[in-house]
Amino acid sequence: MSVLLAQGVEVTAGEAWTFWLLAPIAVIGALGMVLARNAVHSALWLVLTMLALGVFYVVQSAPFLGLVQVVVYTGAIMMLFLFVLMLVGRDAADSLIETLRGQRAAAVLVGGGLAALLATGTYRWLEGTPAAGLAEANAEHGGNTEGLANLLFSRWVLGFELTGALLIVAALGALMLTHIVREPGERLSQPEQMRARFAPGNYPAPKPGPGVFATSSSNTTPAKLPDGTASPRSISPILPIRELTAAEAADKETER
Amino acid sequence: MTTDFQLPAIDYQAISPLLILFGVACLGVLVEAFVPRPARRRVQLGMALVGVLAALGAVVLLAGTNVVTAGGSVTVDGPALFMQGALLAFGVVALLLIGERRVEPGGAFVAQPAITVGSEADQRQASAPGATEVFPLAMFSLGGMALFIAASDLLTMFIALELLSLPLYLMCALARRHRLISQEAAVKYFLLGAYASGFFLFGVVLAYGYAGSVDLAAIHAAVDTSQMNPALLYAALALIVMGLLFKTAAAPFHVWAPDVYQGAPTPITAFMAACTKVAAFGALLRVTYVAFERLAWDWLPVIGVIAVLTMLVGAVLAVTQTDLKRLLAYSSIANAGFVLVGVLAVGRTGASSAMFYLVAYGFAVLGAFAVISLVRDREGETTHLSRWAGLGRRSPLVAGVFTVVMLALAGIPLTGGFTAKFAVFSAALEVGEGWLVIAGVVSSVIIAFPYLRVVVMMWLSEPSESTATMVAPGLLTGTALGIGALAVVGLGVVPGPVLDLAHDAALFLR
Amino acid sequence: MSELSEASGLLGYVWLLVAIPAASAAVLLLAGRRADRWGHLLGCASVGAAFLLGLGMFGQLADLDEHRRAVEQQLWTFLAVGDLRVDFGLLFDPLAAVFVLLITGVGFLIHVYAVGYLAHAPHDQTHESAGTARRRFFGYFNLFVAAMLVLVLGNNYLLLYVGWEGVGLASYLLIAFWFSRPAAATAGKKAFLMNRVGDAGFILAIFLLFAQVGTVQFSGVFAGVAGMSSTVLLVLGLLLLLGATGKSGQFPLQAWLPDAMEGPTPVSALIHAATMVTAGVYLIARSHPIFSANLTLQTVVVSVGAATLLIGAIIGCAKDDIKRVLAWSTVSQIGYMFLAVGLGGVAYALGLIHLLAHGFFKAGLFLGAGSVMRGMDDQVDIRRFGGLWRFLPITWATFGLAWLAIIGIPPLSGFFSKDPIIAAAFDRPGWTGWLFGGAALLGAGLTAFYMTRLFVLTFHGPKRWTEGQRPHESPPVMTIPLILLAVGTVAAGWLMSTSVVDWLTPVFGEAPEPHGLLSHGQVTALTMAVVVIGGVGGWAMFRNGTALAPAPAGPVVTAARANLYGDAVNAALFEKPGRWLTRALVYVDNKGIDGIVNGLAAAVGGGSARIRRLQTGFVRSYAMSMLLGALLIVGAFVAVQAGWFA
Repeated sequence: MSVLLAQGVEVTAGEAWTFWLLAPIAVIGALGMVLARNAVHSALWLVLTMLALGVFYVVQSAPFLGLVQVVVYTGAIMMLFLFVLMLVGRDAADSLIETLRGQRAAAVLVGGGLAALLATGTYRWLEGTPAAGLAEANAEHGGNTEGLANLLFSRWVLGFELTGALLIVAALGALMLTHIVREPGERLSQPEQMRARFAPGNYPAPKPGPGVFATSSSNTTPAKLPDGTASPRSISPILPIRELTAAEAADKETER
Repeated sequence: MTTDFQLPAIDYQAISPLLILFGVACLGVLVEAFVPRPARRRVQLGMALVGVLAALGAVVLLAGTNVVTAGGSVTVDGPALFMQGALLAFGVVALLLIGERRVEPGGAFVAQPAITVGSEADQRQASAPGATEVFPLAMFSLGGMALFIAASDLLTMFIALELLSLPLYLMCALARRHRLISQEAAVKYFLLGAYASGFFLFGVVLAYGYAGSVDLAAIHAAVDTSQMNPALLYAALALIVMGLLFKTAAAPFHVWAPDVYQGAPTPITAFMAACTKVAAFGALLRVTYVAFERLAWDWLPVIGVIAVLTMLVGAVLAVTQTDLKRLLAYSSIANAGFVLVGVLAVGRTGASSAMFYLVAYGFAVLGAFAVISLVRDREGETTHLSRWAGLGRRSPLVAGVFTVVMLALAGIPLTGGFTAKFAVFSAALEVGEGWLVIAGVVSSVIIAFPYLRVVVMMWLSEPSESTATMVAPGLLTGTALGIGALAVVGLGVVPGPVLDLAHDAALFLR
Repeated sequence: MSELSEASGLLGYVWLLVAIPAASAAVLLLAGRRADRWGHLLGCASVGAAFLLGLGMFGQLADLDEHRRAVEQQLWTFLAVGDLRVDFGLLFDPLAAVFVLLITGVGFLIHVYAVGYLAHAPHDQTHESAGTARRRFFGYFNLFVAAMLVLVLGNNYLLLYVGWEGVGLASYLLIAFWFSRPAAATAGKKAFLMNRVGDAGFILAIFLLFAQVGTVQFSGVFAGVAGMSSTVLLVLGLLLLLGATGKSGQFPLQAWLPDAMEGPTPVSALIHAATMVTAGVYLIARSHPIFSANLTLQTVVVSVGAATLLIGAIIGCAKDDIKRVLAWSTVSQIGYMFLAVGLGGVAYALGLIHLLAHGFFKAGLFLGAGSVMRGMDDQVDIRRFGGLWRFLPITWATFGLAWLAIIGIPPLSGFFSKDPIIAAAFDRPGWTGWLFGGAALLGAGLTAFYMTRLFVLTFHGPKRWTEGQRPHESPPVMTIPLILLAVGTVAAGWLMSTSVVDWLTPVFGEAPEPHGLLSHGQVTALTMAVVVIGGVGGWAMFRNGTALAPAPAGPVVTAARANLYGDAVNAALFEKPGRWLTRALVYVDNKGIDGIVNGLAAAVGGGSARIRRLQTGFVRSYAMSMLLGALLIVGAFVAVQAGWFA
């Protein structure tokens, strides 16, 4: 893209504007993905980058690729990613403190070095490359998408089929690593679940909500039980318990 | 809408080994779905063995074929067939090890990998029959490896790379004992493997940028004709080679090997050590000899430094290992260096010596891991060196086999290891790469020490209470052991036929 | 050398001769206790089968035209790198055929005998059952036969060397068969070490051959002899001779052979009398083009033979242990063979005839000795025997025939084999003819004396047993081999003296006309006279038994009792300087080389421990090192492309 800009051929003003607007956003998205502490945030940053890339493809006369980028990557894969993250939940025990001495500095240095080498390299090596052949390639089969389809099912038919094999392996692996076969009788029947629920020592009622009976409505404030003590049950284990001010901790008139 | 679509000509006979392997793998998945659980292992093992043997037969029938087919995705030529043959032979032995269930009740694989480690359910499945999905996974992996060796363009090669790797990542996580280490190994292998694949793919892109094609032959042709900046091609070569060197476990891309070899179930470690090595070097040979041969004088010194580094790192680090599986992991790193010496002797002799080395090494390492799977105590396999002291007195036969294998790895004459080292070193000398030979000999000397230490431990120490017991090998492991030991000795005493075969096969079709 | 024939018919299966005993050895050594019950039967059967096969091949070979009476079978190419091309191939020619028959024929009889002998094996402290010990024994025994056959059938020096080392290994294992006995273990080590000295010579000879003619194949080497300078030939021959003296217990490496008698008696009979120790003779006979090409070399071989035959005979006169006497007698008789092969020409065949005849009668003597020991509760001191002929009649008769044969009484085999050697020694022109002829003649007299002494003290004269001994004859499984060997002893000499010379003509060439100092008739008469004097003298001296303890005696006898100070000479000449050298080397080694090596080892170990820390186990640190590798490799390639290194 930048090469085309540098050469100034076949690049319309709109294309240039789109590029210069979206390119920083794509880079920021990538950096954000690496630097975000929260996995969900990371995933969202990545969505941003992928969307930007999708637009680039479309602008560069690859509409099919651009759409696939948006639909498959941004729409399907990243959303699946988010679902999984939210289902599994982020564990508070995750530590983000780097224990290896010099790891971060070295990573920045070496990673930056390689990135600089390849980036400046590709820029210099590709300088002056003419954009050629797009019209002919598209004309051959009557369009970009048609041409792509033709390639996919003729020249690359074996690779295409084998990608299917790859998907089978992925499905098989996912099944193996997640699915537990329940032996008959292993699952509790409804009456058994009921009895267990009301067995002595279990608390059959719903858990108290946070902030109830308290002066603060924050969901980091534990609920107060009828005897005035705070119930740790009422808040999520990954949240820190909120320190209450004296006013908040003081008894309310309701106890009387 | 156009109607000028034409299917490429596909020589189905030439790719029949691939079709058989993938076909059996897919059937294996169906078996998982429809065959009742108790019968699955027999059906799967039988089917897998028949499939691999049939593919091997197909490879033998194809001998002498030289054809590029499937739209230019697959090259069937001498090196491809030779290495596919070796790969499938190793595959048979590895499948025997994977199928073994007598050494450990239920086999080396966990019944339900999804069950949380250490939970009550996990304790209940302690001796339940192991997961049979491992067979189709192994078949997919073998298919991917066979394709990897024969791929004639970088994109097919990349798909093959993923196809061989993904099942390996999965299989690494399936150990019955020490499951946490096993899962950790799988995650490490997966992450680093994906990382290396990224570099490979970047390299492919740059190569396309230079040559306008991902075809190996087209890249070769483009070296002379392309108008692009040649630096592009060099960067492409660097990144592609890096991705391949990761699979061969060459330094500094070897770091995953010890952890993964140690954590993976032993039959899978054997499978990785023997088969992955063949596949990775097959692809490396093809890329360097077919696509980048005209650049040989430029990549020789760089990859030469990597070869020297690999041999030395493997050898030196093997010295202080106390765990046999890790020891063999470092040995596999050093051996990758030795094969690289053969690869670097660019030419027919170099290719044939590297291919012979792979054959000799594969059988030896399969034998070694077969023995490791037999030495156990109540906790499972005991791979700590101290537990092997005096084992020779207890079970002389199996210890004898292990000794032969260790001597072969150390390169003692009359074993395949000696012939193989001799072949690669003389090939390197022939093209005047004496410095590689010097480094090779030095590291051979260093790495002989840990091998011989194991031998000395086994035979010259008195057995003590902590000495592990050797489980009598079942039919499957026994056969695998026998094949390994016979091949090791056979390749040392009568190497002629295989050397000739490798030499005849060592011409790449461009 | 004559031309080769097609390996057709049975002759296409020469490899089976080696494969059968080798397979049997593998089964016996690997099968474990399962084979304890039937292992010995398999061991005997395999050697018997090899013998029958050998007999059939012998017949086929005899049918071939005389000038094309040799078959070569190329099994496989072991290594073909550059100039070095080593083939595994077998050569079946008249010389090899004779050896094959000796090894498998006598070997089979001794295998059978061993079944009976081991049933009564002396108990010792090894913690293994009798069945396991027997299986181990037959496994080693078959290994020996296989290795010996490789030795005589190989068509190149390297394969010969493989067999050479194989028999050395088997011999070591069998001498130390009762390894819990210190004497046996020591004797095994001694044999092993002294053989190494010889083997070093042999392997150097092979290197020299390769350097000179570029091949180790017999045919190629012999074709290249003409092109070698006489110095090279001399060095080559001396190195080969060193190998031969080591294996055959010849001067100066003779000391290990008598000690090797610590092994079980069948081992002494097969390995240390009939077959392995004759490998040196085989080596020289096989290399005859080399030895015939240099006169000095021949003189050295003859001198070694003459010296050894006298040394062996003199020491044999003074020994009291029945097996040691026989062992020194073996040393002495092989001296005769060396003498013969050193003389060259037709005497090569004479040496081999003596070798074959000796194989029969010495095996018979050893097996007879084993039978006596068995009857006398493992007593080996001949001063403690006497008058046994009444109790062990079969042993007595067979031993007696062998005794007559070895001292050379017509018409037994020893006469036909030894007499021509003495005559041939006298045929040497000039004073050396008198010297070597005289030595051979004197040796014959001494042989008659000590063998008669042995025979009389053992079987005749007053009983001098330790109390409570009840001598008894051995079972048929032992006596039948004895009888068969005795039959061979009686018949073989005459058979061989007439036909073997012709048989071996394709190998060694035609016999020239003798032009000696004395006629053959005169030599025979002289020999007979000397033998009768020695024999009668021995009988007269020991008719009435002997003192039970060594009596004080003159310097000659004392020296003979001390093995003619052979061990002392060894100690003075080799051991002490060797020790000094070793000490000096150890010092240099400790201070210098070891320092370097240990330093290197420590450096490697330390480096290993240090680099190991980089292997942290964290994926991110692994990824880091890969990233660094990627940076370096991309950088290196870009730099190479930019020509920064050019």
